[in-house]
Amino acid sequence: MGKTLLEVQNLKKYFNTPAGQLHAVDGLNFKLEEGTTLGIVGESGCGKSTAGRTILKLIEPTDGKIIFDGEDITNYSRRQMRKLRTEMQIIFQDPFSSLDPRKNVMQLISEPMIEHKMYKTKAEVEAHTLELMKIVGLAERYMNVYPHELDGGRRQRIGVARALAVNPKLIICDEPVSALDVSIQAQILNLLRELQRDRGLTFIFITHDLSVVKYFSDEIAVMYLGQMVEKADADELFANPIHPYTKALLSAIPIPVVGKEKPQRKLIKGEITSPVNLPDECRFAKRCEEYCESCNHGNPPLREVRPGHFVACHQCV
Amino acid sequence: MSEQILEVKDLVVHYETEDGCVRAVNNISFDIGKKKTLGLVGETGAGKTTTALSILNLVPNPPGVIKNGTILLDGTNILELSTSELEDVRGNDVAMIFQDPMTALNPVMTVGEQIAEAIELHQNATKEEAYNKAKEMLELVGIAASRAGDYPHQFSGGMRQRVVIAIALACSPKLLIADEPTTALDVTIQAQVLDLMKSLIKNRDMSMLLITHDLGVVAEVCDDVAVMYAGHIVEIGTADEVFNSTAHPYTEGLFNSLPNLKQRGEDLVPIPGMMPDPSNLPEGCTFAPRCPYATEACKSKLPELRDMGGTHKVACNAYDNPNFKLKGVH
Repeated sequence: MGKTLLEVQNLKKYFNTPAGQLHAVDGLNFKLEEGTTLGIVGESGCGKSTAGRTILKLIEPTDGKIIFDGEDITNYSRRQMRKLRTEMQIIFQDPFSSLDPRKNVMQLISEPMIEHKMYKTKAEVEAHTLELMKIVGLAERYMNVYPHELDGGRRQRIGVARALAVNPKLIICDEPVSALDVSIQAQILNLLRELQRDRGLTFIFITHDLSVVKYFSDEIAVMYLGQMVEKADADELFANPIHPYTKALLSAIPIPVVGKEKPQRKLIKGEITSPVNLPDECRFAKRCEEYCESCNHGNPPLREVRPGHFVACHQCV
Repeated sequence: MSEQILEVKDLVVHYETEDGCVRAVNNISFDIGKKKTLGLVGETGAGKTTTALSILNLVPNPPGVIKNGTILLDGTNILELSTSELEDVRGNDVAMIFQDPMTALNPVMTVGEQIAEAIELHQNATKEEAYNKAKEMLELVGIAASRAGDYPHQFSGGMRQRVVIAIALACSPKLLIADEPTTALDVTIQAQVLDLMKSLIKNRDMSMLLITHDLGVVAEVCDDVAVMYAGHIVEIGTADEVFNSTAHPYTEGLFNSLPNLKQRGEDLVPIPGMMPDPSNLPEGCTFAPRCPYATEACKSKLPELRDMGGTHKVACNAYDNPNFKLKGVH
C-alpha cells in the first residue's frame, strides 16, 4: 500500500436554482494513493466535472471533507489554497478556450512559474520553460507562436506543460482528450502515462469515454446523478460489472470490430433525469431494467460486494 | 436504372483563399449502392465534410470551388443542375444531418413547425396536413406527438438530434447524408440514436453516407467504408475488407491508436506527427511523412487506388512490391 495522497469524505456540492436544490455532487467518498489514477466516468450532467473542481476547491463544497497529503483543506482560505496550487493542478477539456489567446507559448507555459515565484531569474524561468516544452513534445520553434496558430493536439500539450510547470503531485484531467482526433489522442495519452511513470504523478481522470479510462486508470468510479454507483479496480470493473447502469454504459460503446461475434447490446431507455429535488429512491430506478418494488425504498448506499468492488444497488447486493 | 444511388467521380474541391489554395478534396471517386450505408472515416481536416457538401453542391463559394468531377445522383449530374432544380433535390431526394443538434434547429420555431416546414415545401401539402405528418414523424423518432408545440431549448441534446433526424426523413429522401450525427452525444444516447437511424434506414429503403471519425460507429452501422486522408481516399471496401484485411498504413495506424477495450497497461501506438496542411501538401504520397513503411519513392510518386480483390482498393506505393504486407493491427 502506497501513501494516501487524497481522501474525500462525503463530499457534497449543491447549487440553489429557481427550481429547487440541484444535487450536482451528492456524497462522494474515495481515497487515492500516490502515483495511481482514479478514473471517473459518467454521462454529461452526472456531476463529474463539478466533483473535480470541488476537490480542487475551485468551487466551495457544500459539505464533506477533502484531505490532501494529510491536511484537511476543506476550510482553507483562498490564500492558504494559493500555496497549495503548486501541488494540485488541472488540465481542461478544451484546448481552444482554456488558453489566453494573447499570450505566446513561452508566456503561457512560464506564467504559472512566475505567478508562484518559483525561480529567481528570468533565465531560470526560460530554461525551465524550454525543458517543459521538450518534455511535452513541443519543438523549440513554437516558443513565440500564439495558440490560434496551433492545432488541438499541440494546444493540449501546452495545457499539460502549464499543469506540470509547478511540479504538482496531483493533476485532475477533465476530459483532456475528448476534443482530439484518435491519432492525436493516443499521443497525449502516452505522454500523460510517461509523465506518471517518470514523476510519480497522481491523476484523477474525468471522462465519458470508457475505453480511454480503462486504458489509463487503476481504479474506476462510475457516477450517476451526483453519486458513485460502482467503484472497482479497472480490470475487475470491465470483467465483472455489477450495477445495471455500468453494464448498460459498457455495452453502449461501439466496438470497432466487424464480422466477429460481439456481445448483445443492452440499451438503456430514456435520458439522465434532472438532478433538482431528487426523490428518496434509487436514482437510476426510472431507467433500470432490473427495477422492482424495493428500489423505491431509499437511495441505496455504496456497499462492498467483493474485496475492493463497491456497488450501490438494492438488487445486486 | 443503375444499382448505385450515388456515383462520385474524380471530384476535386479547392478553397481559393488569399493565403493560397487549400486542396481539400483531391480527385476522389466512390459509389453508394441502393439501400447501402457508406462510412467516410478520417481525421479533422481530411476533407470529409467538404465531400458531403459537394454532393448537395453546398460548398461555400467563394472561397470553395468544385474544380472537377461528376456527382451522379440516381443518374442525374448534380453539378449541372440550376439553383431551382437543386432546391428540389435538397431536402427532398437528399437530406443532411449535421453534427451539432444545438445549432441545427431554429430556436424561435416549435419543433413541429420546423418538421412541417420541410414537408410543406417539398410535398405540396397544406399547413394542416404537413403538421399532422410532422407529428407522425416525431412519434417515429420516439418523441411523443404532444411535444410538437415545444421549442428546441425544451429538449435535451439526444432529443434534439432526434428532431433533426425527423426533419431529414420527413420527405423520405433516397439518400441521407449524416455528418458526425452522434459525436456530440453521450455513449448511451449515441447507441439509442444509432439504433434508431439503422432501423429507419432499413424500413425506408434509404441509402446513407455516414461521416464519422469513430471506427466503432462505422463497425456498428456501415456496409462499406472509405478512409480519407488529406483529401484522398486511401482505402475503400466493404467493412469486412477494411476492418479484417486492413491494407493501408494509415488505416492500420488508426486502429493502433484506439485504446482497445481488451488490453490495458501497454502503450498506445499513435501515428507520429500531424496531418499535412492541405494548402501545402507534400509531393508524392501525402501520408509518406508519417508512414512507417515509406520509402524514398513515396516522396515523389502519388499512389493510385489499386485492386486488392473484391471491392477492396488501396492507394499505397508499397504494394509495388508484390510481397509487401503490413505488420498487422496490434
